[in-house]
Amino acid sequence: MTGAVAARPGRIVIGTLGLDQHEVGAMAISHALMRHGYEVIYLGRFNTPERLAAVAEQEDADIVGVSVHSWEFVSYIDELLARCRELGIGLAVGGSVLTRQDQAELLTRGVDAVFGPYASEAEMLGRLQEIVDRVRAGDTSAPSAAAGGSRSTAGPLAGRVVIVTGAARGLGRAYTHELSRHGVAVVANDMDGDALEEMASAVRDVPGTVHTVVRDITDPDAPRVLLEAALRRYGQIHGVVSNAGVLRSGPILRLTDEDLKLLLDVHVTATFRLLRVMGNYWRAEAKAGRTVDASVVLTTSSAGLYGFRADAAYSAAKAAVAVLARVAADEMSRYGVTVNAIAPMARTRMTRWLGDGAASPADDPLAAEHVAPVIAWLLGPDARDVTGRVLEVGNSQLSVPRGWQPGEAFTLPPLMSLEAASPLLRRALAASGPPRELLTSERGSDPQS
Amino acid sequence: MTGVAPQAVAATTASGIPLRPFYGPEDGVRDYAIVGDPGSYPFTRGRRRRPGGQAGGWIQRELSGEGSPRRSNEQFHALLAHGALGIDVIGDNPTMSALDPDHPICIPAVGTTGVSLCRKQDFVELLEGIPLDRITLSHSLPAAFAIAGQYMGCRPNGIEPAALRGSAIQAPLYSEDCSYSTFLPYAIRMRLCLDSIAFSLREMPRFHAFLEDTYYISDGGLDVVEEMSLGLLEIREVCRRLIARGLPIDAIAPRIAILVNCRMDLFEEVAKIRATRRFFARMMREEFGATDPRSWSANIAVHTSGLTMTAAQPSNNIVRGALQALAMAMAGVQGLEISTFDEPFRTPSAIAHQVAIRTQQVIQTETNVSAVEDPLGGSYYVESLTDELERRIDAAMRHIEGLGDIQTLVEDGYFRGVFTNAMDRHSSAVQSGDLRIVGVNEHVVPPEDDTFLHDVAEERFEPDHEHVERIQSWRPSRRGAPLQACLERVRGASADARADLMGPIVAALEADATIGEITGCLREGQGVPADPFTYAAQRQLTAVAQ
Repeated sequence: MTGAVAARPGRIVIGTLGLDQHEVGAMAISHALMRHGYEVIYLGRFNTPERLAAVAEQEDADIVGVSVHSWEFVSYIDELLARCRELGIGLAVGGSVLTRQDQAELLTRGVDAVFGPYASEAEMLGRLQEIVDRVRAGDTSAPSAAAGGSRSTAGPLAGRVVIVTGAARGLGRAYTHELSRHGVAVVANDMDGDALEEMASAVRDVPGTVHTVVRDITDPDAPRVLLEAALRRYGQIHGVVSNAGVLRSGPILRLTDEDLKLLLDVHVTATFRLLRVMGNYWRAEAKAGRTVDASVVLTTSSAGLYGFRADAAYSAAKAAVAVLARVAADEMSRYGVTVNAIAPMARTRMTRWLGDGAASPADDPLAAEHVAPVIAWLLGPDARDVTGRVLEVGNSQLSVPRGWQPGEAFTLPPLMSLEAASPLLRRALAASGPPRELLTSERGSDPQS
Repeated sequence: MTGVAPQAVAATTASGIPLRPFYGPEDGVRDYAIVGDPGSYPFTRGRRRRPGGQAGGWIQRELSGEGSPRRSNEQFHALLAHGALGIDVIGDNPTMSALDPDHPICIPAVGTTGVSLCRKQDFVELLEGIPLDRITLSHSLPAAFAIAGQYMGCRPNGIEPAALRGSAIQAPLYSEDCSYSTFLPYAIRMRLCLDSIAFSLREMPRFHAFLEDTYYISDGGLDVVEEMSLGLLEIREVCRRLIARGLPIDAIAPRIAILVNCRMDLFEEVAKIRATRRFFARMMREEFGATDPRSWSANIAVHTSGLTMTAAQPSNNIVRGALQALAMAMAGVQGLEISTFDEPFRTPSAIAHQVAIRTQQVIQTETNVSAVEDPLGGSYYVESLTDELERRIDAAMRHIEGLGDIQTLVEDGYFRGVFTNAMDRHSSAVQSGDLRIVGVNEHVVPPEDDTFLHDVAEERFEPDHEHVERIQSWRPSRRGAPLQACLERVRGASADARADLMGPIVAALEADATIGEITGCLREGQGVPADPFTYAAQRQLTAVAQ
């Protein structure tokens, strides 16, 4: 046995939070762990996240274990989690007041192990050992969204993990900056690595973090790569903003196959693949009994809703995205996923025809920054009941387009003659009113006018 | 004859008393004088009901209090409308810790596990319209403030303090080591206990100012011998000190009540109550020289064990509560509260309250078990167990007293060790299956099939931030000068070991001081930081460093 190296026993800091004075559970697990060779630093009652983490750091612990018998834990868990992540140590929470929903939510937030009223000692020991092993291997040093900054992480989006495609410039950049201000961990993707790094380096002194992944979104592996990056780094994924876009303009008579293919690949095929890969992941999570609380935001365009003059292929691709959002919403709702689309109006590389705006976003109604809060809201807890919707936003306006609606119905006679067709069709067309005019760059930016 | 072959497996009671397959005449009462009739010394068989009193009566009550004082007041009215004869009001975590709701550490907990109380107006709102002269109000709150609050809260209802009935939990020895920590040093805890009892004896003579609560100390897993030996030790210690102040034992003893636990070994729990009554009678008469028979007969109420309630299959808890309540009805207790079926999850919901009250009503009105006093008296087994428990409780007390004086034991953490060992023993027994619990380690169903009553049990309410804001916006409206003068008096009284604390505390509450401010001054008078969290953190860091 001379070659055997005795492993240092697992070391765990245990206590309750706030004014939760029930210690039975904390005491029980402490004694059980000590019987199984753990080193337990028992802190008893009246702890704050700061104190638990400080002692864990000082004692070089592998895990912080919190026993809860009061709902106070809800107020402390995000801060505690952020502190544990910062230190690269695990967090386990247990207590009989934890409902199944609580347990799922804690796991989603990133707690490493959660034990409810049914947990057996053997199960707890097994799970805690797994965490010790992972921590020792350096795996759970995965920073949470909140670990990067010193700011408060409170807020509805804090700790969520979101993928943003096309994040280097324009709207994607504005979304990434806005989300990171709310404490979100953004997995930012773009094919332009330099611009992406420049965007990420501008994210400073905010509670959230940005992790960059350079990849062409039309690469069939791109969605898988993004998902794996999110899971490897943050252990979870709560949302996707499919924002990457490209513009190739030209009348139908002149648009090349190459441009057509690019437009369809970027807007339709890549978006579809992203939905398929993410949807399958969330479906598996839901099937495994974990609560999924995820949101997807796709990017359509007023061109896709109303048509844009001389942009038939772009308009058709964006129309496809709008309908994709509606059908995907229906398909994924059973797994806890919302899918919506926005039609943004902003001054970006793709809308150069809008010209230059004011230097400060506050003075420019077409600045991308004005669209970003809508994205943040759609990804947050307040929008859990919003799915399958298309929102048009920008230039100081927000609207929910009514979309294609059935018109007034007329009886269609069986085997109608051509003579009968004319008056019927004329009546039906007249009842629907004149067709909406296409959008044009000359008409400016407001499709509603 | 009881001579039988030894059993293959040694059966014991929950506390480990060896059991034989059956008991016979020589195990039972050898000398009836040491049992005595109901209403006669040594009160093994309990009190005799008052002439013309209601047969088999006990005070039925339920634990209550949630959210703001007004919301709890509505809850009280609902409980009384259901036929409750008493109310047991419990504070939320901040109130139990004598902290104000707007202290940063408190905000996440305000009103979620009890009522939030921190000022005179809160007590007035809590008690509005409650017929305090007809029902009993038991306080599971820091006692000095509970007594002061009820004293001040009754007058707006047109009721004089002299008419008040009910009880307040005095826990000077054990509160810091269990779940009633108020972050006060031992010396000041004991003085608050003694001063508030003396105050109540003078101002509220019908009120049980000394409720010895062995429920809360034992529900981490203490057995019946540990529970009652610690409880009777605390009674002895407090009585000695009150007598040393010149109060006659015959004024003190009738105002003592004991709130005990009831777990699932039902005969042992019944025997515990009978042994406790006998022990108490002897302590009062033989040790303290009480001559009034009312001083000898213990007033015992029960709160059935929350620890025996399981998160698995909550409907089973209704059965457990009914069995425990039946046993306690047969033991002849003066008051009874059943831990509700949702106990593992939350403070009681309205429906769980109703089930608990109805359980008591069914037992009292339909079963006839309490038609005669002490119906189990004379059972060979119960009498044998009563004798054995009395012996063991006495031996345990002698053992502890042999270890040193009580104050040293408290300050050295001896009792903390008793509590933590019991918690470990209990959880190990559950995990190993030595303690068999239906639905937990036997007859388990998968969580996904265990849904009945979970919707009620898992309902949850938010901290009452509105009440926090109410307190925050109220603070600046107080008159500063008289308030500061009153607080200074509290600080001064705390620093003077011979000063009375209740007078300054009542005056400070009348001047709109908060409980948090007053306890802060009590701490400062003892030379420790006013903010309890600074104080607690200091103590704990010392403990960690050891």
